[in-house]
Amino acid sequence: MPIPKNPGKDFINQINTHMKKPLWKTGLLGLCAWGLFGSGTLFAQSDPTGQKPITQTYAFTNATVHASPGSEGQKATIVVKDGVIISVGSGVTIPAAAKVIAGDSLYIYPGFIDAASQAGITKPEDPERPSDFVSSNPPDEIAGITPWRSATDQFDISSSQVDELRKAGFTMAHLLPDGGMIAGKSTIMVLGTKGSTNLIKANTALAASLNGSRGMYPGTTVGVMAKFRDVYKNTSLTQDRMAAFASNSGVSRPEINPTYSAMTEVVNGQIPVFFEVENDLEVRRAISLQKELGFKLVVYGLEQYDKVIDLLKSSGTGVILKLDTPADKAIKNQKNDVDEAVQAQYDRVKESYDRTIAQAGKLAEAGVPFAFSTIDAKPSDAMKSLRAMIEAGLTESAAMAALTTNAASMIGMNRIAGTVEQGKLANLVITTGPIFSEDSQIKHVVADGSIFDYEIKTKMKNGNGEATVEVAGTWDYTSETPAGSSGGKLTIEKDGDDYSGTITYDDPSGNGTATSPISDVSISGSQLSFSFEVSAGGMAISVSVSGEISGNSMDGSMNIAQFGSFPISATRNPNFISNN
Amino acid sequence: MKKINILLALCLSLCLSFSWAQSPKGSVLIKNGTVLTVTNGTYENTDVLIQDGVIKKIGKDLNAPSGVTTVDATGKYVMPGIIDAHSHVALDVVNEATAPIVAEVRMKDVVNPYEIGIYRALAGGVTISHAMHGSANVVGGQNATLKHRWGSSNPEDIIMQDAPRTIKFALGENPTRVHGRGNGIQPRSRMGVEAILRNGFSEALQYKKAWEDFNKAKSQKGSNAVAPEYNERLQTLVDILDGKIIIHCHSYRADEIYMLINVAKDFGIKKLVFQHTNEGFKVAPEIAEYTMGASVFADWWAYKFEVYYSTAFNAAILQKNGALTSINSDSAELIRHLYHEAAKTQRYGNLTDDEALAMITINPARQLGIGDKVGSLEEGKHGDVAIFEGHPLSSYAIPQMTFVDGVKYFDIKEDQDDQRQQVSPTETVEPILLTEHNHRCMQDTEHLFETASALFQMNQ
Repeated sequence: MPIPKNPGKDFINQINTHMKKPLWKTGLLGLCAWGLFGSGTLFAQSDPTGQKPITQTYAFTNATVHASPGSEGQKATIVVKDGVIISVGSGVTIPAAAKVIAGDSLYIYPGFIDAASQAGITKPEDPERPSDFVSSNPPDEIAGITPWRSATDQFDISSSQVDELRKAGFTMAHLLPDGGMIAGKSTIMVLGTKGSTNLIKANTALAASLNGSRGMYPGTTVGVMAKFRDVYKNTSLTQDRMAAFASNSGVSRPEINPTYSAMTEVVNGQIPVFFEVENDLEVRRAISLQKELGFKLVVYGLEQYDKVIDLLKSSGTGVILKLDTPADKAIKNQKNDVDEAVQAQYDRVKESYDRTIAQAGKLAEAGVPFAFSTIDAKPSDAMKSLRAMIEAGLTESAAMAALTTNAASMIGMNRIAGTVEQGKLANLVITTGPIFSEDSQIKHVVADGSIFDYEIKTKMKNGNGEATVEVAGTWDYTSETPAGSSGGKLTIEKDGDDYSGTITYDDPSGNGTATSPISDVSISGSQLSFSFEVSAGGMAISVSVSGEISGNSMDGSMNIAQFGSFPISATRNPNFISNN
Repeated sequence: MKKINILLALCLSLCLSFSWAQSPKGSVLIKNGTVLTVTNGTYENTDVLIQDGVIKKIGKDLNAPSGVTTVDATGKYVMPGIIDAHSHVALDVVNEATAPIVAEVRMKDVVNPYEIGIYRALAGGVTISHAMHGSANVVGGQNATLKHRWGSSNPEDIIMQDAPRTIKFALGENPTRVHGRGNGIQPRSRMGVEAILRNGFSEALQYKKAWEDFNKAKSQKGSNAVAPEYNERLQTLVDILDGKIIIHCHSYRADEIYMLINVAKDFGIKKLVFQHTNEGFKVAPEIAEYTMGASVFADWWAYKFEVYYSTAFNAAILQKNGALTSINSDSAELIRHLYHEAAKTQRYGNLTDDEALAMITINPARQLGIGDKVGSLEEGKHGDVAIFEGHPLSSYAIPQMTFVDGVKYFDIKEDQDDQRQQVSPTETVEPILLTEHNHRCMQDTEHLFETASALFQMNQ
């Protein structure tokens, strides 16, 4: 009889799939009940996986606690039990069941909240086109109009993207479904363990964008805006018809379709619309739709917005910035000894770069509360981006508020999340230093009362900030993408002061292996980064890789344009041939 | 419906008051120039006084009221700001090419005030452009008439709010290629184009009636009438039938031009302008009799089969037959020298200076329904003015300054190397579109057109 390799894991997966569907249908009440005896049921009496923690009670003793944005750090002990903070203070009693973690040298902050996230979200496959498909009038589901879809169904807690987000300090995420112009309803998850659904609240907002469908109506932003008005107004009219039908005789049966039904909560003002926007012009487009139709509006993903700060404030629009800063490649590549005209051009790029980074500070100064989104951003770069924004004028307390309290308010979770307080969810970030300082590292993240430990790296510092690690050599790498595990060879050669090389990968156009040259190889401390281009179906897709090198191994992430970020690890082949 | 009406009214009033408050108005006294009024003759050594955005006085020896700057135009030519009746400058999207009728889309939704083309147009004396939807659809989207108030970040500021609504139509090869050949639906032929139009307007009449019936029934006591489905596409066609929107129709061949005149007659549509109108010279009397005229290229043709039967005398023939005629650019490059394009009507047709200048000023203004506000230098009209070194119809003409509502937005003496409003933080050299001079009319649909080489291979 074949013995399953990992019976425990399969067991959990089975439970997951069994539990997934009915769970959110039983509603919040059922959920609470699940939460109470949940872990017990899951791991039962015996736990062959060894994954069940010894205790669900933790005490972090004598740490420097920053309970809320802007508050002074105070020495305190925090006790959490079954996912809830049960006490915070200096003279608290530590229960006997608690695992004690000495926090003397540690700093504790409220767990971060990603106000608009797609970590662990997989877009459902589009249904097959009907035989009578006409691109000028496609069915809603194919045209990206799917307000009935839920991010809950698209979320997978065991995705590496969730691990990466949590590792960056995020403990809760407002997850938006992936899709077209009206992608569906969002859901709020705590980023706890794989053994739970982690659901806090489903159907909290509608996710919308100005993106058209490829090759069918509506195909562009103008079409999308017209279609949005159409859907909205007809939802409203359908409601009127349904009301007339319900209370009178002699009324024709109203045509009820899934789109209008699912839009009802939006039209009635019960849930807001989260509109994806990138720049000031798109902000204005979303606000003009909002003014015309009257829904509650939150805009997310903002990158260029300093021209609309006043408008954002006066319109009362909810604001979620992309947690990212522009690549500084164009600035770093600027040469010396150029003529006046080129220098003037350089200056404008530099000025634009500085202005972009300073926007968050200006927004906070104008008194607009905002949160952050990690969609299309690398969570592992979050701290770097935040430090850049702080250096450009954002106060630390405003940055912290964006990561915690503002985000909690924006998604209606401020009663249970956003600060370190008795009674709130046990979501914490625990660092080795003041959180925004350069040397600080995240040592533990507590999410949903479970503790996640991270390795603390001792950085080798070199005064000049020059390369301290040797990266040349041949590396074998593997990466995890939604398409599965893949890998290849990475060769890096030293070329004077610069580096060059090649990378191999599975050819996306079919079988075999393809090779691309790598470019922009840079080393900062023990951090290696480079990029390369993959040609797929006539399109060049750019991939950027960054990772931490320690000895002959590297761990990091690989960012594929428009697809997201995936973990990558590599080991260097021993060099048998002497260089001498 | 009531709810929607209230919402619409509210929005309309909000938008209007908002933008009116915003758009800047200036005052300036332009001294001692040769004033080309276009509608009232030419005056030497004459002054033009603009106050709070409006032309207050045209005359000799005017004094500048206190606080009003004076510009010395001695030896220079002062003309009304040039108006381009066919442009795609400052639009983030040009074609919603996905359906044969997309009357519901609004180019005002995608105006981009940062586009450098606006400044380049100002540098050619152009103060107003008609930002049109593309020509992929039989009935395209609703256009935006723009005032080139360069420097604003708010699209509302550069939209001419008091201009009437206009809409794009297109006949011939473009819509039949995109929908017939590209997607296998109607229209595949010029007959199909006509069918789309007639069916569309007939449906619009039914839609109008359905709402009228509903609104009538609703007002009866104890009515349980329910509202029909809302459809902005059909509502826009209703607005065309009700005379609220001017049609600007992309057209080349005489037969299709005459077809649309007949469709318009049958449905009682009076506000109709033809764009391109390459074979307009064959049906000039008909265009003159029934429409608001034609907007043509001076001498740009042969870029596809239906544009081969062409003549540089087209504009002059139309004009001599009494058709209101303008010359347009349809290009971010041509828009910079429309004064040269207008001058070609003198070489090909012997038009007078005023007739040639009217082709790029008062005539396009009338075709856009704004002839009472702009298009000539007259007291009471908007202070939209271009100053030239050399006569604007001369080959040696060089634009010097351009004013919109009395505010100077271009001055050749203050022209910087880099006039961009927005600079990318991540790219030292931003991508330059080398095909900018080509049609944006068919942007994003180019793949549906065979290249010349593919045609050769096909015939081998």
